[in-house]
Amino acid sequence: MDPYPGDAERRVDRRTVLAGLAAGGLTATSGCVRQTRSVVNRDGAEQLSLTITTVPSDVDRESIRIARILRNNLEAVGIDVTIDMLAVEEFYRETLVNHDFDCYVGPYHGDMDPELLYELLYSAFADEPGWQNPFGFTSLTFDELLEDLHESPDEDRPEHVADVLDVLADEQPFVPLCVPEELRLVRTDRFEGWDDHHLATRLGYLGLEPLGPDDADPPNELRGVVTDPRPTENLNPLSVEYRERGTYVDLLYDSLGTADNDGDEGESGDIYPWLAESWEWEDRTGAESTTDVTVTLRPEASFHDGEPLTADDVAFTYRFVEDTSLDEGPVAAPSPRYRGKVAAVESIEALDDRTLEMSIETGRQAGERALTVPILPEHIWAERTDEASVFGFARRPGATDAVVLDNVPPIGSGPYQFVDRSERERLHLERFDEHFSLGVDGLPQPTVERFTTRVAPRSASAIEIVEENDADVTVSPLESYSIEMVSETESVRLHRSPSQTFYHVGFNLRQAPFTSPYFRQVFARLLDKAHLVEEVFEGYARPVATPLGDDEAWVPEDYRWGGETGTGSEGEDEGEGEGEDEGEGEADDPSAPFLGSAGDVDVSRARRAFEEAGYRYDDRGSLLVRQ
Amino acid sequence: MFVQVLMQIAVVVTVMLVITMGVVVGRRRIRRTVGEYRTRLRAIAPIVVVLATVLLFNGVARQIVPDLSWMIGWNLTWEIYALEGEFILWLQSYATPPVTAYFSFIYIYGYIFMLIFPVVAYFALPDTRPLRELLTAYTLNYTLGLVCYVLVIAYGPRNMMPELVEALLYDTYPRYQHLTRQVNRNTNVFPSLHTSLAVTVGLMAYRTREAYPRWFPIALVLAISVSVSTMYLGIHWAIDVLAGVGLAYVSVALSARLVGRWSLADFRSHASGARRIVTRGD
Repeated sequence: MDPYPGDAERRVDRRTVLAGLAAGGLTATSGCVRQTRSVVNRDGAEQLSLTITTVPSDVDRESIRIARILRNNLEAVGIDVTIDMLAVEEFYRETLVNHDFDCYVGPYHGDMDPELLYELLYSAFADEPGWQNPFGFTSLTFDELLEDLHESPDEDRPEHVADVLDVLADEQPFVPLCVPEELRLVRTDRFEGWDDHHLATRLGYLGLEPLGPDDADPPNELRGVVTDPRPTENLNPLSVEYRERGTYVDLLYDSLGTADNDGDEGESGDIYPWLAESWEWEDRTGAESTTDVTVTLRPEASFHDGEPLTADDVAFTYRFVEDTSLDEGPVAAPSPRYRGKVAAVESIEALDDRTLEMSIETGRQAGERALTVPILPEHIWAERTDEASVFGFARRPGATDAVVLDNVPPIGSGPYQFVDRSERERLHLERFDEHFSLGVDGLPQPTVERFTTRVAPRSASAIEIVEENDADVTVSPLESYSIEMVSETESVRLHRSPSQTFYHVGFNLRQAPFTSPYFRQVFARLLDKAHLVEEVFEGYARPVATPLGDDEAWVPEDYRWGGETGTGSEGEDEGEGEGEDEGEGEADDPSAPFLGSAGDVDVSRARRAFEEAGYRYDDRGSLLVRQ
Repeated sequence: MFVQVLMQIAVVVTVMLVITMGVVVGRRRIRRTVGEYRTRLRAIAPIVVVLATVLLFNGVARQIVPDLSWMIGWNLTWEIYALEGEFILWLQSYATPPVTAYFSFIYIYGYIFMLIFPVVAYFALPDTRPLRELLTAYTLNYTLGLVCYVLVIAYGPRNMMPELVEALLYDTYPRYQHLTRQVNRNTNVFPSLHTSLAVTVGLMAYRTREAYPRWFPIALVLAISVSVSTMYLGIHWAIDVLAGVGLAYVSVALSARLVGRWSLADFRSHASGARRIVTRGD
């Protein structure tokens, strides 16, 4: 956006006035000139212009549709709106790294643990690139609530979550919209065991049982199909522009613990030792509820290039995520991914090759979550601490090679290793025969020799590829529009995983008008979430009022979708004699009840809400702001 | 699946070529061509080499164009949308299954046929000038088009309005998207190269209408159909199509000026501007 939209105009004005003064101005008194100056050099109110940043339909059909519905609603209430469609890498770079946006529409993929509130909203992260506080939300009092939640022992967390959600509903730094269903298509005639684990995680592709049709040899190749070409272009675990759920990174890299999220919908899932053979938690009770954890690594772990994986690599990884320049850059260069998880770790120390001691500043649940960070080989990543630059020019302080490299071939320690790729077409992995899981009973193992993935342009073609037995699984979840196209048979069926994604509208609180919580509150009420779910997601989603997916384990009933109205600027609309057109949406959304019904904004109510928030309209119905 | 689609296209287009050759070119011209093909090949060799080089370069360049565009380009999607509004929606309001089938066929098969046929037909003419002009015009289309693609980022209507503009081709025949995804990147919609090449062929058919009177009406119908199909199928904006027509005009006019100017083979030719090519075959 032009930072000074009124400027050119003002200059012309000034020149015109000066010309006028020169012509007949000798008679003008000094008082008159002063008054003129006062008018000429003053900015007036103008119509509010906003840009909604999002991605094109080829990347995410739902986001652009939400953005266009949002635009129509905003235009109806007198705001001028442009939609900026960016390639998906550019979208993440502009919003999460450069923070150059007004508001955006997009998904968040995470585990829906309350710790994500700390990651998304803690003030100290506001200046960092990545998913840590992309909104630039800063508040001392809110920070205290977040710290209480962050540091709270497990049993006190629900109480602290409620405190945070209470304020969050008023502040609305972003608007959670809905949780889409995560559906994939799988072939059950080639592999069994699809339901054992979540198909967005590494475990989903381990422990599958190949089926030999009629005593033929069982398949030794697992064939995936994705609709997102990015894993064929970049396999850097730290790159926020190229990762969504990080499924492939999960297979190429190991973490100390692994989440098994195949519990019920919304449950964050338990975390089991993976690269760690065992861990021991010791609560240090006292004023500060610090916890020490001693981690013992598996003895036989090594990286794909043959180097052994030691406790030093683990300690390195945790320090590296915090600052990829390892304190050598002019400014810290934190990783744009995993930063929130690592924030739970106060200190980490390698005691010997296989033993680590970590001091955890959170409770156990949040602490275990910190153990799911992929372990990077120090001998490769320690070389990647230089400031990112192009041939030594165009230097980018605060970014290092570690966050800009494609990282192909990726050297991890995971159950599958990289063989080959053809950009935007194919990715070829094969089993890492030295992987520890092959030597340990009871762990899900890479049962299939090869894991090949091809890129399909859209869900419709991905479905066709699976149905014609050219692939076994759609690794990317199906887009909701395409679900009706699936014809389930004996050998092909829809597979449902608990969703760990929520769509939201993110605001940039660093700049007007989103600096104002009053503006955000009214803005949040211009989207009919229930209607979006029907219209855009064709019913394959559920509306939510909180970023935690309205999980019963965390979110008190009053704050959930369909809960009683608790907060928000609800009160003022009642008792104004308009009872009839108060839509059904109203009762459902306790944090931001829709100003209208059945998807249509009630323009007069919305305008009144903006006026009560201190905004003015001109006679053409444009919402005015001072530029 | 990609290979299957290619095979199918090859067969269908070959059948179309053979039939049209019989109707438009005639047996006598073909017989004469068999006798003279060496000299004609020699005459067109330079421009064939140029075109082949440009196409090869184009193939490589297309891989890096999006990266370049996102560094220097203008993202004009919103401006195009703001300018032309919902014209595409209006066009699609006339959608019926037979019309969709027709335009899908035209977009894939008709287009490829349209590019290949005049090359073969002009080769069957004793005067190689039309063929050299055609190949030069193709070269210019690809070159100028590539420049536009670097400078301008634009997503097509189906990327902006997925629910309104049905991606008719891809939802009706999903397998074709493998083809177009290999060939095009989705930010390359301004101008429409489908339109510009089809119109180029149409303009050339007009210029050679005395040699091939039957080809001109066919080419005219095809050129209009291809242009409309890109909009009807939600792939291009009307503005992309207009720009494509402009690109075609520029390419044909330039090639008429350029061909013969530095020609090694055609000393006698007068390097006149947009004169009509009068080629009385035999």
